[in-house]
Amino acid sequence: MVNPSIQFEVHPSSGVPIYRQLMDQVRAMIASGQLADGDLLPSVRQMADELQVNMMTVSKAWSRLEVEGVLERVRGTGMRVTSGVASGPLKERKADLKPLVEPMVTRGQQLGLTDGQILDVVKSVLKERKR
Amino acid sequence: MNEPSNAAPLIEVSGLMKNFGTAQVLKGVDLTIPRGSVTGLLGKNGSGKSTLLKCLLGLLKPSSGKATILGEEPWHLSTEAKAQLGYVAQEVSLYAWMRVRQIIEYTAAFYPTWNHDLALELARRWELPTEDRVGPMSQGQQQKLALILALGHEPDLLILDEPVASLDPSARREFLSTLLEVTRDENRTVLFSTHITTDLERVADHVAVLQEGKIVYHDELDDLKDSVKRLRVTSESDLPSSFRVANSLRAEVSGKHALVAVVEVGPTLVEEIESRWQASVTVEDLSLEEIFLEMHGDA
Repeated sequence: MVNPSIQFEVHPSSGVPIYRQLMDQVRAMIASGQLADGDLLPSVRQMADELQVNMMTVSKAWSRLEVEGVLERVRGTGMRVTSGVASGPLKERKADLKPLVEPMVTRGQQLGLTDGQILDVVKSVLKERKR
Repeated sequence: MNEPSNAAPLIEVSGLMKNFGTAQVLKGVDLTIPRGSVTGLLGKNGSGKSTLLKCLLGLLKPSSGKATILGEEPWHLSTEAKAQLGYVAQEVSLYAWMRVRQIIEYTAAFYPTWNHDLALELARRWELPTEDRVGPMSQGQQQKLALILALGHEPDLLILDEPVASLDPSARREFLSTLLEVTRDENRTVLFSTHITTDLERVADHVAVLQEGKIVYHDELDDLKDSVKRLRVTSESDLPSSFRVANSLRAEVSGKHALVAVVEVGPTLVEEIESRWQASVTVEDLSLEEIFLEMHGDA
């Protein structure tokens, strides 16, 4: 079943290509638990209709997430969310995270925080996640 | 381009020039349109968009250079090639006294194959009553009708010249959504010109930028957004006037700060700038409009 509660939204005039906006939203929905293992995503056509974007854009997002191991293609039904744990070499997964951490560190330094204090913030966020 | 298609491109242009008297409008256009793509031809008013499309359609004779469309030379386009071609002109002129049904039938008579069911179905879906007269219809409705007339023979290639320029924002949005529907057919190639970047962003998968008579950029829209970035450079001391960054479109230096738009942010570029100028660098995404302005040097 396609989870009816999920809502995508795109900003075509953003500097982030639409396909990447969609990929980010799928990842965020998985992270927040809105999408669970085994949930089906709307078809490329449905998505393109609903969001009024080019079909190629949606299919690009879906296939890249498939390559990343976030989605899997189910014959005749569409795309399904897989376990959510990304595979691939640790080095690559770390490299993936780095560009997200950089602006955070910059901001922390602007706020006059020490390295240790910045790490404390990260640790506290990780701790909250575990609850 | 990185198109995995092995089919011959539908449009191939190289070194195309067009003069009107002493005015040089096209100054050596190179462009290849792959089959199945939806390409937005983006350019300022007066950059030569209409002239280029008219040269491709055989409505204007190029001064020099080479162009092929559907494998043929535009100026001597065969009937068979014309039957695979749909065109919506910038100024739609339809017989005002005809009814929608009549103008569809009239147009159908020019084509050996015409899908009448499709034409009627599109008229129904796009809310054009077949008994309405063309004259009193709004510009948006006339534009849609012109599109139906250009689609009834199920062309492989559809060319539209500034299809939404004359429409108000809501009619524009509606027409773009009809255009999206048309591009669903993977076998259909669409080329449309516009000077409005937001028109392009939902519909097109490729973008070609025409600037002063030349194509200065042509690639997938996503790749354009992925590759062109703005770097915000902040140094510890004033940046010298010699401050330069490779592959930059434009740089603005003021004291310790610099804003640089670069075509390709390689993995090492940021680090290079940081170590060479003792600076910190943040990378910003740019919208198509911002990229367009950076390319034209008036951001």
